[in-house]
Amino acid sequence: MRFPHRLRRELMSPRWYLWGLAGLLVGGIIHILIVLSVPTQVPFNIFDKVARFGPDRQFHMLPPVLPRTEPLVDLDPAMRHAICRYQLDEGPILVRAEVSSPFWSVALFNREGQTIYSLNDRTADKGEISMLVITQQQLAILRENPPADLEEMIIIETEEVDGFALLRAFVPSAAYEPQVLDGLERAECTSRINQI
Amino acid sequence: MTKMPKMPSLALLKQPQEPFFDPETSWQKPWPRVSRLLYRTSLFSFGPFVFFLLVTIVFGVGSAYMALTKSSPFEALQSGVWVAHPKAGTDAADPYSAAIFARTLRIPLGSGEGLAFYAVVDDRGRLLNPSCTYTIAGKTPPARVWTLTAVNQQLELLATDAGRSYLNSENLLRDKDGSFEITASQDARPGNWLPTGSAGGLVFALRLYDTPLTTGAGIAGPQMPSIRRGDCQ
Repeated sequence: MRFPHRLRRELMSPRWYLWGLAGLLVGGIIHILIVLSVPTQVPFNIFDKVARFGPDRQFHMLPPVLPRTEPLVDLDPAMRHAICRYQLDEGPILVRAEVSSPFWSVALFNREGQTIYSLNDRTADKGEISMLVITQQQLAILRENPPADLEEMIIIETEEVDGFALLRAFVPSAAYEPQVLDGLERAECTSRINQI
Repeated sequence: MTKMPKMPSLALLKQPQEPFFDPETSWQKPWPRVSRLLYRTSLFSFGPFVFFLLVTIVFGVGSAYMALTKSSPFEALQSGVWVAHPKAGTDAADPYSAAIFARTLRIPLGSGEGLAFYAVVDDRGRLLNPSCTYTIAGKTPPARVWTLTAVNQQLELLATDAGRSYLNSENLLRDKDGSFEITASQDARPGNWLPTGSAGGLVFALRLYDTPLTTGAGIAGPQMPSIRRGDCQ
């Protein structure tokens, strides 16, 4: 008889509502903190995952996209891919590619796996893409003693030091596969800018 | 009507004793200022605080979990049942899609490459079922090349008997007006056959390469193929 009365009086007190309201507000803050910290705090990182294809600063052909052995998530099985991981503090990187395929493209990703630049073969000059990925300081140094063909390159100035380049080439049918693979194998991801 | 407070019968028996109060020496005594900690209170006086902690954790962590697993990125470009997220996976992405992409390690298509549309339901709003036959018919928005892929709900490729689970725009039978009709089924079909697998749900991914949709031209109402459900096994 006494307890329910006390319980009712206890629950009716504004303390419960005020603490509950505070809980909702602090819960909203925790929600925002969790969402914002996920991209940097995930234990598995796309940049580390890409490292297992081979050493940095050269293109590695990815295995064909087949069920259960997909090299990366959400790749197109109708395409063949080559990947090149780089860290710009070891010097700028020059990506050169020429693939004979109805469609091929190059995309640059940052450390979190977001595209920072992408282009396809329609923008290529004479069928070849030559792309210089460089930081602002490195570009200032390079401009003092510019290589002869600096003007012909697509210069991508970026603050993202870590990243990777992904080259995609469309294979319309199995008959195209040898020439597409040949183009992907000849693709260059190099730091030797002056010796072109 | 005035409300009369009910007087407990115990209160009549126990008269509150007037504490001894001597005005001369009262400044020496702690009384009536007794520490709050010495008062007798109910056992669950910290109940509201426990309630606060519970609300904080359940609401904060739960809503973040739901937002990152069940929801989809913002700024969707939707046409019929096909949904694309042109901003997701770029460095201009909203925090939710950035977190979703970081958790799933998805490789997005850059805006200079193309745009990927995904369909989860058919034209009548029913979830796609891998044991059903679907007819995908119509036209796509202008694109140099496009591919249509059958994946499961985790966006993994489906293992099929045919050894492929995709079709591309180069090897397609079309009508005179350029429209096409694709049959997605587990078993071989005449015409354009898109083999599908058997387990893990079904999602169609239509990737348009080199399309004016990503450059901002003709964003309004792109024409997308329809998905009609046929027989189910």
